[in-house]
Amino acid sequence: MSTRAALLIGLSALVVLALLPVDLTTVGLPYPGLRRYGTYILTLWLVTAIAAMGVNLIVGYAGQETLAQAAFVGIGAYLTAITTKSGVPFGVAFAASALVTFAIGVVLGFPALRVQKHYLAFVTLAFSVLCWLVFRNEQDWTGGVMGIRDIERPSLLGLSLNNHIRFYWFVLGITSVLTFVLSWVLRSPWGRAFTALRENPLRAESLGIDVRLYTLLAFALGCAYGGMAGSLYAPLVEFIDPSPFALGPSLIFMLMVVIGGSGTFLGPFVGAGAAVLLPEWLRAWDVYYLLIYAVLVMVMMAVFPGGIVGLAMRSLPRRARP
Amino acid sequence: MTALLEVRDVHKSFGGVHAVRGVSFDVHAGEILGVIGPNGSGKSTLFNCILGQLAPTSGRVRVDGRDVTGLRPSQLNRLGVSRTFQLLQVFPQLTVRDNLILAGQEHRGSRLGRLFGASDAGVGPDAERMLDFFRLRRLADERAGSLSYGQQKLLDAAMAFMAGSRLVLLDEPAGGVNPTMLVDLRERLEALNRERLATFVVIEHNMEFVMALCSRLIVLAEGRIIAEGKPDEVRRDPGVIEAYLGH
Repeated sequence: MSTRAALLIGLSALVVLALLPVDLTTVGLPYPGLRRYGTYILTLWLVTAIAAMGVNLIVGYAGQETLAQAAFVGIGAYLTAITTKSGVPFGVAFAASALVTFAIGVVLGFPALRVQKHYLAFVTLAFSVLCWLVFRNEQDWTGGVMGIRDIERPSLLGLSLNNHIRFYWFVLGITSVLTFVLSWVLRSPWGRAFTALRENPLRAESLGIDVRLYTLLAFALGCAYGGMAGSLYAPLVEFIDPSPFALGPSLIFMLMVVIGGSGTFLGPFVGAGAAVLLPEWLRAWDVYYLLIYAVLVMVMMAVFPGGIVGLAMRSLPRRARP
Repeated sequence: MTALLEVRDVHKSFGGVHAVRGVSFDVHAGEILGVIGPNGSGKSTLFNCILGQLAPTSGRVRVDGRDVTGLRPSQLNRLGVSRTFQLLQVFPQLTVRDNLILAGQEHRGSRLGRLFGASDAGVGPDAERMLDFFRLRRLADERAGSLSYGQQKLLDAAMAFMAGSRLVLLDEPAGGVNPTMLVDLRERLEALNRERLATFVVIEHNMEFVMALCSRLIVLAEGRIIAEGKPDEVRRDPGVIEAYLGH
């Protein structure tokens, strides 16, 4: 797909997404818009997709593994909650979340230079547990299991974003920027180098690609996406406690990337959709919904290992594939 | 005249196994040196020691008189030394063109500049020339994984030249390539040697290919050089016949 076509499709998707919560009956169209809860779920989907984009960069493009993305989301969320409650503007807290998680990613990724793949998974697993313990036990900072409540939504240029649709648009704007940035990186020579790391690090190194540096960059950038997602998550839910940042949710992030289509650009959006929206739709089946969800995931993995996007690509005519 | 590549008394042991035992040789600019020897004679290990994939147990490696022992492969590549591998090493998911661009991109501009600059890092025109030179033009937009084995070998060799390398070490370039493609490959390598003064060190089992391509041969057996000289001299060497050719 050409850059122009990709940009056009992206902009169209953006307009449709922006209109989803808007009541269009006022302009004569038969669409009442999403209600408050629907808009909340949609916002949660975007925030989740940002974190999943980071995992996709680490796992799908650079071929590494991470079991700590929820912990990075947690670091961003707690950092934002704590600092904004003490009067720091949201913009500063957001930037700090990105920078701090990037820096932690660099430090944590350093062992990745020696221990890759499954070993890196265990390093991140240990980090994930460590973070969860800090969130739960450092009560003076994090409120422990009681968490932090009443996290305020930010305002933009003096305009309060307390209104759920405005906050959704705000998150949509940030998601768009972060999506554009990642697509830029992946279309640049860096993206090609990341793919080389995944496919054949030995050969990549012999072609002058500094495998160690690129691995570290991919990992830290992926972690920073987790941090930024967390920074948006805190004002979205307005109350945070340690549970969404534990090991289980980190595994779900991995699952999202695999279900959506690891190493495909749209994979994280589709995967985050499946993880956030599907349980909502399946809720009608009450206690069976987790069972149905689990079976769906297993069938998916057995039959379409390329994920939903991989499946869609196969059904497209060859020429139309990106 | 300083040799382009100097290998001095290189040893490599893995536990109790001495894979390379004190190998020394020089490669001069413009030369095509063949390295032959039976399986397990230490050829690939020697390559890996020269190219930084393995650290030699002892000994030195110099390129243009500069000590490069212990440098990482990516650092050596930036000094103009490339290699291909015994087993195919292209990037199957990338197109043929992207494989070539990837092979050259790290040699242009700064890393940050490459992030903000053109997506082909400015090596697009070089890649196009290489497509023509290695007659891969009609396959440019195919994924490398979908090419035949011989075509992938050609691509593999083309990639080694994208960095503008002066010295290329080829590990069994003819392995598994059909005879027609083999003539093509040899012809391309000779043309590169002639036109760009590229210097080669070639490990090869295909005697016909190596005798026709190389100006000089060294023969390894059990980690040592047992013979050295022009292809015809080596062919007649009784030690070589016993260790290798006679088998």
